[in-house]
Amino acid sequence: MRTDHTDHTEIHVINGIFHQPSDSEVQRWMSSAFNMAIDALENGEVPVGCLLVYNDIVLGKGRNEVNETKNATRHAEMVALDQVLEWCSHRDLDPKEVCKHTVLYVTVEPCITCAAALRLLNVPLVVYGCKNERFGGCGSVLDISSGDLPHTGTSFKCIPGHRAEEAVDMLKTFYKQENPNVANPKVRKECMSPAGGTITTHTEAAPHEDDVKMAVSD
Amino acid sequence: MFKMEPETKKRKGMEYDPDSWHVLPVLSDEMSDDVKLLDAYAAPITDKRQTSRLVKDLSVVHPLADLHHIKRVRACKDKSSPHPLEVIVCLVSDVSVPTTFVTQPQRPASLTDLLSSKDFNFEGLGEPFPVRIPARAPLTRPQFEQASRHWPTSFHEDKRVTLGLKGQLFTSRQKAKIQEYMTTAVEAARSGREEGMDAVGAVIVDPKSGQIIAVGHDLTQDHPLHHAVMVCIDLVAWAQGGGVYTYEKHPACRYTASDPQLYAGHSETSGSEENVQPYICTGYELYVTREPCVMCAMALVHSRISSVFYGTASPDGALGTKYKIHCQKELNHHFDVYKGVMRQACEELTPLK
Ligand SMILES: [Zn+2]
Ligand SMILES: [Zn+2]
Repeated sequence: MRTDHTDHTEIHVINGIFHQPSDSEVQRWMSSAFNMAIDALENGEVPVGCLLVYNDIVLGKGRNEVNETKNATRHAEMVALDQVLEWCSHRDLDPKEVCKHTVLYVTVEPCITCAAALRLLNVPLVVYGCKNERFGGCGSVLDISSGDLPHTGTSFKCIPGHRAEEAVDMLKTFYKQENPNVANPKVRKECMSPAGGTITTHTEAAPHEDDVKMAVSD
Repeated sequence: MFKMEPETKKRKGMEYDPDSWHVLPVLSDEMSDDVKLLDAYAAPITDKRQTSRLVKDLSVVHPLADLHHIKRVRACKDKSSPHPLEVIVCLVSDVSVPTTFVTQPQRPASLTDLLSSKDFNFEGLGEPFPVRIPARAPLTRPQFEQASRHWPTSFHEDKRVTLGLKGQLFTSRQKAKIQEYMTTAVEAARSGREEGMDAVGAVIVDPKSGQIIAVGHDLTQDHPLHHAVMVCIDLVAWAQGGGVYTYEKHPACRYTASDPQLYAGHSETSGSEENVQPYICTGYELYVTREPCVMCAMALVHSRISSVFYGTASPDGALGTKYKIHCQKELNHHFDVYKGVMRQACEELTPLK
């Protein structure tokens, strides 16, 4: 799953200098992230894919695995971060030191959970496709990426908008096939429940990035 | 000496005085903020018989749009006043106040300043005076009481919120149950601390059966993202046939598959809507020794938790301190949050750095 890494990379980890990615790098890694998203789509998962790249080496690749794990936090970013942690543990390296020099390429703006996780691991830069209007943690719902959270790792920068329309189209394709009743008026009403109210989820069918379509049928 | 007696389990959590802590709801900002006020002019009604005509005419000239909660007329607070009623003429923002009024605020605005319409019938209306009126409808009883000191408003009371703010939402039996679950979370936190982890513990409960589904503690020495809440969410996934990580090295982290009998029973006795398999954390409660961080709070939204009880606040906490993710309007799921459960025991676990 992970690509080439040789022993000399450890030198980079220690003396690594962080560079802003060039356009061609962005294109190359984002295209790989889109392939991960397609893989998610083909496996009945929300089509989000990502790569964590350190000095030209892919340390982690991920796509949504929420349905297969029944864990609503198994977003692409979390899956990829686990691979980085494993990579570090094999080399006895401090994950935060490695992440400090790692860029995340992801097809959709990270959600609030993932944005906080990226902060906790000191990832400095996120390149993403489309905005995540429902859950986005890099400005769409909350700005966790640059928020004043001194006990939650370090803030990070974002480069948004790479192949954004394509990323949105994939999400739309997914929701069309998974949720035929998107326009259910009852759903709309429940989505607007007042703060603190309890929402019953079994009737909820609106499209959400992390909407898990499981349990009921198995 | 420390043999387990049959009594021990029954008395679990009872060595801690349930009267020593108070559980308070963590409400949205709009429910907990002070009432905002708008500057307005009111005037006494000197002829009571003109009241309904004046209200009608005033609401044509100055309709007070978006202020439906405001009662246009109030009984005069001062009982010795020669006139019993007062009416709102307009908001200060409704009129362009003459410069003389701005430079000499002690000079009161006159009715003609406020009601420029030529044919307004001033009969029965006294000289205007400045008042401050609540900008929006009060949402809680404290807000209502605060608003009422300025000007009367309508108020649709949510009894649960009122009781919650008085610390009376839970009966002593419910409080004992809350304490029992939090005691389990505190014990988990201590187990974690013995392993060199941060002393944070969490418990997920199915309130329908009272059953504990998952118990977890911080595991950040193993994995920097394995906060107690994240561990518990994954343990619930295990209880439902999923799950990602293994916890064999951490015996205090455990789960129980929810009772299939309970759900089978539901499907026979009630309609199809009740016939649901447990679905992530839907309907479940979380008890956690300290306020969840942003990552964990949003993970609870994704997992559709129904309520969260925590002991003590965290400096970057996302359920009250830095954010109130549980009532963030843009999100598709909201839940109730209560703080202060066994506060002292929880504070002692995690001394502030
Ligand atoms: Zn996410
Ligand atoms: Zn956390």
